[in-house]
Amino acid sequence: MSVIETSAPTVSAPPRAPGRTPWMTELAGALVGLLVLALLPLVVGDAYGRHVLIMVFIYAVVASNWDLSLGYGGVFNFGHLALFGIGVYAYSLLTKLAMIDPWVALVASGVIAVVAAVVVTIPILRLKGIYIILVTFGFAQLVMQVILSQSDYTGGTQGIVRIPGLYWFDHNMVRDAKFAYFYIALAMLALSTLFLRVFVRSRTGKSVVALRDNEEYAVSRGVSLVRQRMITLAASAFFTGIAGAFYAAYQRNASVEVFGMSLATIVLSMVLLGGTGTIYGAIIASFVLTVFAESMADFGAWRPMITAVLIIVVMLVYPGGIVGMLKALWGLATRRRA
Amino acid sequence: MALLEVENVAKAFGSLKAVDGVSFKVEAGEIFGIAGPNGSGKSTLFNTITGIPFGPDSGKVRFDGNEIQGLAGHAIARRGLARTFQRETCFDQLTVFENAEIGATYANEARSGAKARDAAAEALAFVGLAAPSWGRRAGELSVFERKILMLATAIASDPRMLLLDEPASSLTKPEIELSVELIRRIAARGITILLIEHVLTFLMSLSQHLLVLNQGRVLALGNPREVIAEPRVVEAYLGTRRVAA
Repeated sequence: MSVIETSAPTVSAPPRAPGRTPWMTELAGALVGLLVLALLPLVVGDAYGRHVLIMVFIYAVVASNWDLSLGYGGVFNFGHLALFGIGVYAYSLLTKLAMIDPWVALVASGVIAVVAAVVVTIPILRLKGIYIILVTFGFAQLVMQVILSQSDYTGGTQGIVRIPGLYWFDHNMVRDAKFAYFYIALAMLALSTLFLRVFVRSRTGKSVVALRDNEEYAVSRGVSLVRQRMITLAASAFFTGIAGAFYAAYQRNASVEVFGMSLATIVLSMVLLGGTGTIYGAIIASFVLTVFAESMADFGAWRPMITAVLIIVVMLVYPGGIVGMLKALWGLATRRRA
Repeated sequence: MALLEVENVAKAFGSLKAVDGVSFKVEAGEIFGIAGPNGSGKSTLFNTITGIPFGPDSGKVRFDGNEIQGLAGHAIARRGLARTFQRETCFDQLTVFENAEIGATYANEARSGAKARDAAAEALAFVGLAAPSWGRRAGELSVFERKILMLATAIASDPRMLLLDEPASSLTKPEIELSVELIRRIAARGITILLIEHVLTFLMSLSQHLLVLNQGRVLALGNPREVIAEPRVVEAYLGTRRVAA
């Protein structure tokens, strides 16, 4: 059916965002989700279970921020995990060598990751596709080699151990069965998700999608490719760096394994399995993949193979990932009700 | 003073001279048509004027008296020079309203928030895209609706000049008639129009001046009826006198 009106045009008061979920509805849903996650320690009684959930939250922050640059921005930034690694080492060096307060170091690590993202953006500003992959992958390798070469400070292949952890007033963070780290990780995920959703719903977020959908057309409407691409990568770096810092504080050690392809593959799987360009999809997939992998622990070497097959099956049936699957199921349910 | 002055502009791809020393002027408020056979350099000329995706190798482009040939595409758009593309183009994953909002916001940095939304709504209503469609994903629209939306995003940017690249391509006859009417209404808003089109009746019904390109060079320029009657234009572009009659 045509939507063209051939009669005299009339202008009605424009709504804020026709076709989009209202802010209050989304916020209410997110708060329910946050409440459910906050109550999980009541269900997950043991410290190991909470450790798994802490790792889920860390992965979720990294994956959802990657979704900003990859899914929304369409920038094949394969150096995203390097930003996480920069957060790990920035926190480790700031707290252990510079003796900076862990909380200050946590935020500073996010800022340092942003600076690194701006630096890596410069050579890819006018590149496309495979060339961006090459440059960003090269950037990740370069950062790793710099860390390995500065072994006096970074410990080289040995890494850094006994990194100062976070603190919460006089609370004993080590002997509380991971309760404090659980809620700090959850707060980090909540803040990161709020930031990402505000970003993608803002006019800057819309322009980032516009550039991804059609670069030349977006430029013809006044959108600056250089400026928006830099903003996108910088925005995706802040909480990724903080997640790296939190990881270092939580594990209390740092190693160059965070720059490896293994971790990058796991997090990329979360972005793709969740459904790109959704933010929430990457978070859900982090939960699903991590919990699924843990539940398959008894399968030993079969575990990664089963996980890989699961990902392939979901992606084949629902190219839109888990969010695409949920939307399809919701559509089916509402049609049946109608 | 002309609103747009193109002076000896050239663009080559290797040994191929796609645009070869083209010069012309467009006065404010007019509809200026550009015709030419396939591969004559029409779209390349548009690209060099707008800087999207490239500027000219040599020559000058003045918009409102200022040289713009060295500026980035988005900077040229912000000076009030909007364009459409031959292929119906939109931001597929954004809603119809958000498409117009992008034009209203970025090409006109003085506008944001409620002002940009008002401009987007006005532009959509102006081109006839009904309010119930504003929440639809642009990728769901038909070819004609996408072409109309592309015009709406341009109008929302409040341009002084609009470059239309084959707006009638892929359209049915009734849709072409609606497009002609819409372009007239856009011109009536005071927006100067530079128009590329293959459909000659479309060009003839709208243009006050017509430029014919052939192999990257200006073949003829002037009154549309006189231009298409010129034997070299007939020979190079029309191929038959039947259309010119």
